[in-house]
Amino acid sequence: MNAVRGAFGAMAWCAAGACAAQACGEGLPGAIHALESSRYAIAFVTLPDPVPVGRHFVVDFAVCPRGDAKPPQSVRVDASMPAHRHGMNYRPSVTSPRPGAYRGEGLLFHMPGRWDLTFDLVSAGATERLTGTLHIQ
Amino acid sequence: MVRGFVPVVVLAAACVSPLGGAQSGSPPAPTPAFSDAELRRILAHGPWPPAPVRDPSNRVSGAVAAIALGRALFHDPRLSRTGTIACSTCHQSARGLADGLPRGHGLALSDRNTPGLANVGGQRWFGWDGANDNLWAQSLRPLLDPGEMGTDFGRIAATVREDAALRRQFRTAFGTEVPTDDEAAAVDIAKALAAWQETQVSPRTAFDDFRDALARGDTTAAARYPAAARRGLAIFVGAGNCGMCHGGPRFSNGEFHDVGVPFFAAPGRVDPGRYDGIRKLKASRYNLLGPFNDDATRSTAIGTRHVALEHRNYGEFKVPSLRNLTRTAPYMHNGSMQTLRDVVRHYSQLNEDRLHADGERILKPLGLDKYDVDSLVAFLETLSQPAPPPVPGR
Repeated sequence: MNAVRGAFGAMAWCAAGACAAQACGEGLPGAIHALESSRYAIAFVTLPDPVPVGRHFVVDFAVCPRGDAKPPQSVRVDASMPAHRHGMNYRPSVTSPRPGAYRGEGLLFHMPGRWDLTFDLVSAGATERLTGTLHIQ
Repeated sequence: MVRGFVPVVVLAAACVSPLGGAQSGSPPAPTPAFSDAELRRILAHGPWPPAPVRDPSNRVSGAVAAIALGRALFHDPRLSRTGTIACSTCHQSARGLADGLPRGHGLALSDRNTPGLANVGGQRWFGWDGANDNLWAQSLRPLLDPGEMGTDFGRIAATVREDAALRRQFRTAFGTEVPTDDEAAAVDIAKALAAWQETQVSPRTAFDDFRDALARGDTTAAARYPAAARRGLAIFVGAGNCGMCHGGPRFSNGEFHDVGVPFFAAPGRVDPGRYDGIRKLKASRYNLLGPFNDDATRSTAIGTRHVALEHRNYGEFKVPSLRNLTRTAPYMHNGSMQTLRDVVRHYSQLNEDRLHADGERILKPLGLDKYDVDSLVAFLETLSQPAPPPVPGR
């Protein structure tokens, strides 16, 4: 799996409108978070925003291939709390209401602190992971 | 459990605490102030009580007539197989709706401590293992459990059908006669039991007064909070990081953890805890995805749809609320700790070898000194109203 994380600079974790993912996710409501790799841009919002501790929330997101990258064949969403070495107690589901648009449901952060939100994009047998960080209070 | 950052105000407590690496046996620190981050955490433990919320899976949730029926049934021993055990036998109002015993004892000795039922409404999972995702299914469980009330659908239904007063109450509550199908009748009766339990909310406490005083910036009112409790609270929201799991107004995140309490129920017999709870939940006909949910949209079933069964769930038990705590001793899933001091000492001297090797890394021994233990106990005691005099004969 090819994983890119904000901390290593291969992926940008930037505010809405401030990076190349600007056009990706147009129409998503609220404050848009953006992730980038060389092959994909992801724009996502959480419902509600901010994410409360101990309540299920939804992630609406768009995946935009860059350059000659093909749209992913499947998409998974998950989250973990690296400092505590645990993930969520729930396995989110992802649906796609239209091409390029996705909804992740069933997420729940059961503790405050730093959570890594991961998007796994599967294409041609390879998985690329884009990871963003949310700080939950 | 102790994370890298130590807020400035906790340093006062840490000065006398091995939490900060200092010696034990020193006198308690002056009453600490709180940092902005700690204040946010404290305020997140309220307000209390929460606004009542109807359970959409239960069509009589919040209905006055159903609450009255549920109350009557809760105290009715005829629901049990022997006619001798009511719900209130083990969930006694004078004991925080628990029984004061290490392990529950209905028709047989249980492997687990009887949880208090105060604030049981509005939770996501029910029971130490979370085997139920709604309160009416959780109410049905002890009725049918051979070791608790040991009854069956026919007896439950007949108890109401054959009693004119209960039959009338049922008609008022549900707008129909008792269903002819015994299972459907029993589920409705469980829904009435749930409606009553939802009304059982623990009262406001000294902590709530303090929290609200902080929220409105009333330093005079805040100063009434005992200094020892304030020091304990500083540990709780600071270096102790207790709020990681015991968060929110209920002082519980409603989820499940392995906290190093042995899960052998008896020699050679293990209580699998949450692992078995998830398996039972998924198999249950009475879960929120099943045919008895009154909410056609299944709006509250999101957790049931997505809960994941993992090996690490073995030996995990639900994080209990800390409200009403002084009423519900003894503590932990197996009732193995008699006092709050025992519980605090458990976390102070935690044996990490007892935690799952592949589990989460949250818990570390807190290394509390005597004053820290006293302070944390003093804080925990302010999450309950002072206990009434003991009830004779129990």
